[in-house]
Amino acid sequence: MQKVGKRNTRNLAWIISVVMVMSVVLSACGNKEEGQVSGSSGNADDPLEVSIMTITPSAVPAADDNVIKRAIEEATNSKMNIQWVSNNIYGDKLNLTLASGDIPDLIMINDPFGSTFTKMVKQGAFWDITPYIKDYPNLSGGIPDIAWDTTKAADGNNYGIPRPRPVTGDSFFIIRKDWLDRLNLQVPETTDELFKVMEAFVEQDPDGNGTKDTTALAAYISPDDLGWGGNLGPVLGAIESSFIGTNSSWKWDGSQEKLVYRELLPEVKESLQYLTKAYSKGMMPEDLLSLKLTQARELFKRNQAGIIVDKTGTMRKIYADDLKKVDPSFKYTDFYPLTNLNGYNPKGSGYNGILAIPASVPEEKMKRILQLVDTWMNPEVFEIQQFGIEGTHYEVVDGKKVASSEKLTADNASDFNHIVNVIDLPWNTTGETDEETQANELFKKVEAERDKTSVADLAAGLQSETGQKVLPELNKKIQDLKAKIILGREPIEAWDAFVETLRNDPNVQAMSDEMTEAYKKRNGQ
Amino acid sequence: MSTVKGKQTSTKKKGLNLLSALRRDRSLYVLALPGILFFLIFKYIPMWGIIIAFQDYSPFRGIQGSEWVGLQHFTALFDNPDFALLFRNTLAISLLNLILFFPFPILISLGLNELRSVAYKRLIQTIIYMPHFLSWVIIAGLTLLLFAKGTGLINELFALWGWPRVDILTNPDSFWIMVTLQAMWKEAGWGTIVFLAAMASVDTQLYEAARMDGAGRLRQIWHITLPAIRSVIIVLLILRLGDIMEVGFEQIFLMYNGAVSEVAEVFDTYVYRTGIEQGDFSYSTAVGLFKSVIGLVLVVVANRVVKRLGQEGVY
Repeated sequence: MQKVGKRNTRNLAWIISVVMVMSVVLSACGNKEEGQVSGSSGNADDPLEVSIMTITPSAVPAADDNVIKRAIEEATNSKMNIQWVSNNIYGDKLNLTLASGDIPDLIMINDPFGSTFTKMVKQGAFWDITPYIKDYPNLSGGIPDIAWDTTKAADGNNYGIPRPRPVTGDSFFIIRKDWLDRLNLQVPETTDELFKVMEAFVEQDPDGNGTKDTTALAAYISPDDLGWGGNLGPVLGAIESSFIGTNSSWKWDGSQEKLVYRELLPEVKESLQYLTKAYSKGMMPEDLLSLKLTQARELFKRNQAGIIVDKTGTMRKIYADDLKKVDPSFKYTDFYPLTNLNGYNPKGSGYNGILAIPASVPEEKMKRILQLVDTWMNPEVFEIQQFGIEGTHYEVVDGKKVASSEKLTADNASDFNHIVNVIDLPWNTTGETDEETQANELFKKVEAERDKTSVADLAAGLQSETGQKVLPELNKKIQDLKAKIILGREPIEAWDAFVETLRNDPNVQAMSDEMTEAYKKRNGQ
Repeated sequence: MSTVKGKQTSTKKKGLNLLSALRRDRSLYVLALPGILFFLIFKYIPMWGIIIAFQDYSPFRGIQGSEWVGLQHFTALFDNPDFALLFRNTLAISLLNLILFFPFPILISLGLNELRSVAYKRLIQTIIYMPHFLSWVIIAGLTLLLFAKGTGLINELFALWGWPRVDILTNPDSFWIMVTLQAMWKEAGWGTIVFLAAMASVDTQLYEAARMDGAGRLRQIWHITLPAIRSVIIVLLILRLGDIMEVGFEQIFLMYNGAVSEVAEVFDTYVYRTGIEQGDFSYSTAVGLFKSVIGLVLVVVANRVVKRLGQEGVY
């Protein structure tokens, strides 16, 4: 009896070890097999098998059998294997994917001038699609020239399809109109007026709950935003940019005939003094540095802050519907975009990332991928992600499609804008309700106003080799110092001293020369 | 004649021994195989990638096609004006860990070991283990909720009592001690497991004999418990030295902010920023390699010192 028992345990030990060995070996092979499936390309009439990597703004991305995805696949004769990556970690994930060498057939490059991508482009790792664009009517006609121009690499070629975005409606200040009305204040038009409004939002109890528990600006400073809007991130950067009057890291100095690095401008110091004063008066969260984008947004959504910086198109999806739950009296039109500050508002670059195709994809398949994007941009195909499927997502009333935004959100419809998008301003459409229609009309009016004062990034698409090397470290140092000054940890004199070292830094000088040269070359001087 | 013969048989026996030992314990070796394969596949084969530290690595060209640059990345690291800062911060946080954190679980286990009530002891153990299972993201969130200057619970209380608010999260003066205390709160309870196990194996007769000789509680701890766990302490200390250049990336990364950057930037965060965020793979590999070499040297040296002192080392 005992003998049998012993043999049993020994056999069991054998079985366990064999199973474990096999599982280790199999897990090591697993990745490779998956990779190969997407690589195959069959006949010209077979559905195009294509692997895609892009951003998803949703917490739960579209599943493989998502109805909208299936409908798009059918319309474009394709089989898409989409890897959705969260917005927060896209940059890291992209770099890792590029480093692995196992790159999806169509990959979203959020910053076409990032160092890894530019380096790989130089080595020929991606298709130069410039000669092919003219063969596809939607690519050449449906994507604005500004987007094609600003995404050109240093050699003047396009290594990816820009994901077009409207040049109007770039992120700028949005203010609580109901708070302004309650305190009898006007919509601010200068930074000084904005300061008075912020002061009132802190001191005069704009939410009317009897306690002084509000702040003005839902601001945050995060190392994730290095280099964006002058290092301070979108919110505080928008204030700094309003002082300078440009949303670029460079400003053209006509008297010297050269581009001047943003940080050397006296307006940056002025804006720092402004922000330091605003912080000390409680006009932004005390824990500014510990907050992340989502937490800063929460402040606005929870009725605790009256000003944010974002696109007007985010009104319902991110803010207004949540805010209504906290403050039922809030109306969509209280989400009030400013037209300009000091006569400035930023003009968009016309794109948000590009879709690149690795050179490892054969030419025939590359052409079919371009065809896929082109077909997708046809109105009848694009309408699938705009309105969904009849009966499920929309009904036809009086010959017009009326979509249910709730159902479209549930099926991740707008996530597909992160692959292919056709510029269609959200405020041009009639809303689901009268309230939304009114808000859209307001936004349309504001955009028309903004159009008169909007300033484009004059250095968009220009590159400097020195800059690529030194900017990442420099941007971080600049953000840290600015943050400390705003918090009151360092005196403003520390900024003067820093600017002096920047002025004498040979790298900064080299970067300025290279940028100036690139700028002149592009402008045909 | 007989000695020669003896020698022959012994060598023959050795060869036979290995084979027969292999055969005898074959199921044990097969059991160990997954572990060996694991280390080969996931630890040793990836180590091959270290060579990109000596290349100007391009993902497109691959390891075979990339250009060799020798020690260029290492000299770039040593020439970096921030190198001294990185080194200081890493070492400071690590030494604080060694001085404050390392002895802490030993003290707790000594205390727990003296508790008479088993139920009470279990309860305390369970409570202090718990934080180990929380991720750093949650702990960073808790820290923010408790200590944030504007909205943190503790500061709200202070404000209520009329005390001045304290700034912990964005204060460079308190950063090192804060991360050390954080690590202690999270891991100290977990660290007691090994020590308690070692203490449980001490022969109770020793304590009885000591008590007969009139030794008090403290004397018993000093002369019996501590010597009994000495070898465990030494082994753990040596292993800890191997990690001296690692200060826990996640924790530092999550607590990092612009106001504390000059005390919070350590090798781990630097590798992340240069490697993953900026895509400078070769350079960050060189930094990582430099870090590992220091750890290896420290382990080897410490092990040798310990053996010189007549104690048992790690190997």
